[in-house]
Amino acid sequence: MNLKLWLLTGIAGTQFGSAALAQQTNAPAEDIQALKQEVQALEQKVDALERQQAAQNSPTQNQQSAQVRELDQKVRILERQRELDQQAAAEAAKTQPKITLDANGFSFSSANSNFIASLHGIIQVDSRTFLADGGGTAGKDTFLLRRARPIFTGTVFHDYDFNFTPDFGGSGVVVYDAYLNYHYSPAFQLEGGRFKSPVGLEALQVDSWISFNERSLVTDLVPNRDAGFELHGDLFSSAISYAAGIFNGAPDYITPPASTQAVDDDKAFEGRLFFQPLNTSDMGFLQGLGFGVGGSYEVDSGADLTSGYKTDGQQVFYSYTNGVVASGSHWRLSPQGYYYYGPFSVMGEYAISDQEVTRTTAPVASANLRNSAWEATVGWVLTGEDASYNGVTPLHPFDLHNRGWGAWQIVARYADLYIDDANFSRFATAGSASEAKAWSVGLNWYLNRDFRVDTSFSRTTFNGGGGAIGNGPVTAQPENVIFTRVQLAF
Amino acid sequence: MKNMISVVVVALLLAGVARAGQVVLLNVSYDPTRELYQEYNAAFAKYWKAKTGDDVTINQSHGGSGKQAQAVINGLEADVVTLALSYDIDMIAQQSKLLPVNWQSRLPDNSTPYTSTIVFLVRKGNPKGIKNWDDLVNPGVSVIVPNPKTSGGARWAYLAAYAYALETYGHDDAKARAFIARLYKNVPILDSGARGSTITFAQRGIGDVLLAWENEARLAQKEFSADNFEIVTPPLSILAEPPVAWVDKNTERHGTTEVAKAYLEYLYSDEGQEIAARNFYRPRNPAIAAKYAANFPKLKLVTVDSEFGGWAKAQKTHFADGGVFDQIYRPQ
Repeated sequence: MNLKLWLLTGIAGTQFGSAALAQQTNAPAEDIQALKQEVQALEQKVDALERQQAAQNSPTQNQQSAQVRELDQKVRILERQRELDQQAAAEAAKTQPKITLDANGFSFSSANSNFIASLHGIIQVDSRTFLADGGGTAGKDTFLLRRARPIFTGTVFHDYDFNFTPDFGGSGVVVYDAYLNYHYSPAFQLEGGRFKSPVGLEALQVDSWISFNERSLVTDLVPNRDAGFELHGDLFSSAISYAAGIFNGAPDYITPPASTQAVDDDKAFEGRLFFQPLNTSDMGFLQGLGFGVGGSYEVDSGADLTSGYKTDGQQVFYSYTNGVVASGSHWRLSPQGYYYYGPFSVMGEYAISDQEVTRTTAPVASANLRNSAWEATVGWVLTGEDASYNGVTPLHPFDLHNRGWGAWQIVARYADLYIDDANFSRFATAGSASEAKAWSVGLNWYLNRDFRVDTSFSRTTFNGGGGAIGNGPVTAQPENVIFTRVQLAF
Repeated sequence: MKNMISVVVVALLLAGVARAGQVVLLNVSYDPTRELYQEYNAAFAKYWKAKTGDDVTINQSHGGSGKQAQAVINGLEADVVTLALSYDIDMIAQQSKLLPVNWQSRLPDNSTPYTSTIVFLVRKGNPKGIKNWDDLVNPGVSVIVPNPKTSGGARWAYLAAYAYALETYGHDDAKARAFIARLYKNVPILDSGARGSTITFAQRGIGDVLLAWENEARLAQKEFSADNFEIVTPPLSILAEPPVAWVDKNTERHGTTEVAKAYLEYLYSDEGQEIAARNFYRPRNPAIAAKYAANFPKLKLVTVDSEFGGWAKAQKTHFADGGVFDQIYRPQ
């Protein structure tokens, strides 16, 4: 159209000029008509040229539009395919097993969580160095693999748990725990197998989180592990925890590989009630308060008694003489409690083990013996982390590059175990002490959640006991022990 | 102690009484039946409440028919299955023994309370001029259809196209196979189910034609505006007969056999048939089919039995691993 206008303008200008010239020269009308016809012919030519130009341009534009449409479709297809691939991947992920490996160990789970299995473990490498012993503990300084336990746990179909824990630390492989647990709800769980008896507070604490290398004298009087069935649960957000079970019955704190097989038809009833009434309250300083009582009752008919009460250094300072068996009722009572607030911790326990015994060898005799013990442990995390019944988690794990020093905790403990005087006329071995008192101090370094290094000192003094120095009795002198431990637990 | 036990027993009994009259069913269905069962479930719940006083809740699961069948075989505890084709329910019966192999004879019309067919959904104005199956194989035509390995509707569509080719080429199987190969060469993407393909075509704007369940095509028009799409009913298509069944072992375990049977039987009632027709499924009831005849164009419908010798043979020939579909289809 611009071309046409230009041409016409040019032509018109020419014509006007011609017309003006014609007027000036008086050209005839025929000439004007001829000029008009020429203009019309030129207009037609211009129109034809424009049509021809348009026809040449159209295929290119059409092709471009088609290409754009095709590209658009390809992009949409790619986007949709990606969307479908993501959906398929999400669907596939629902059926893929999940594997995790972290500070809590190794675990794998089916996609629907119907099958979960975990591997945890604990390795403790200790040293015990006895001091100022006058030769009484000669040959007892040692390095030892205190615990080396892979812990296999798991859950099947959401409600059925299992635990299998062997120990390789001693001279042979021993099964410590092997049990099944059905948890209908946190408040209602039924456990069966071999597991820790629900009596002693310190005994129930996980091995990797006890304050010192060895548990205190009070734990000598409570059962360790036993075989049986237990109903247990946590109520009101763990404000109340209960456990009540029936077991074969175990002597005072025997450790595997000592058997917990039943030796008579009488069974032991063991239970515990523990309160943490303010654990969810707004009173933060009282949330860590817990207290309760554990106990057991059984009637024995000739069952074995404890192999002996041990010091912190694991020396037997009291044992029953040969031929003395449990015969009659045996009850235990253990009021207990703890308090944690920030870096501060205190735990205390009192235990009574009241046992009817019979000496079957001459001179035959029977008696009701009541042994008792108590302990108190305090701690303070120097680096400020919170202390708890389940250990300390450093805020800044040890890392020299990032100036992380882990968590440091000082701990102190006092314990006293009193043996019934009635023991000593007929039932105790020579050299047994009638009382042991132990105090301990220690420094624990938590490099991270899994790795820990401890050092402590423990001194135990005895009343009674003694004996010829030449026999090397434990109780002839106080026991002074320096402990160290390197621990990996996950 | 005795008083405590009595209190516990009474409490348990009261809890049991309180829970009586509440039934939950799981309906595992194929992909495009969401709207149908949303309306139908409400109607059945009302009917059941009036009849028995019990409250029934029906939970739905939707997906490609083949995938859904496999899910039930793998443990999805369906009380009823309402799938796209009888072969998928046969697989459940054979592989998991959750229901008897003669399940199809337990309800009328071979346990298919409604039928459907495969039609074409095209863009408004039908720019590619698609009128029949042979238009789908033209170069430049992009066809959207789900994956017949997972979708029942896709298998119906495939067999409808194949049946057309057999009719056109005098039952020459080689020519029919070549035809179907050309068709699937024009398929740029395979969704796992019918609803996915509808999304691909209608929402994502991909393709020139969607091979869809008749009800799905009508719903797409309704949902995405009739101004955007047209339905083209080809002269020939396949009679699709989506079956229903209760899953005996699951209903026995759940104590829901009676209500599951009633749930499926109600599909044959006047109300059930009306709901099917309103959702663009062809009802079995002749009177109701006549009432909604305007919604369902007449066309020649062939059956799986007549053209392919039944589903078992069709599945083995065309859709099993290494079958015809695997031989002719290559992802683009």
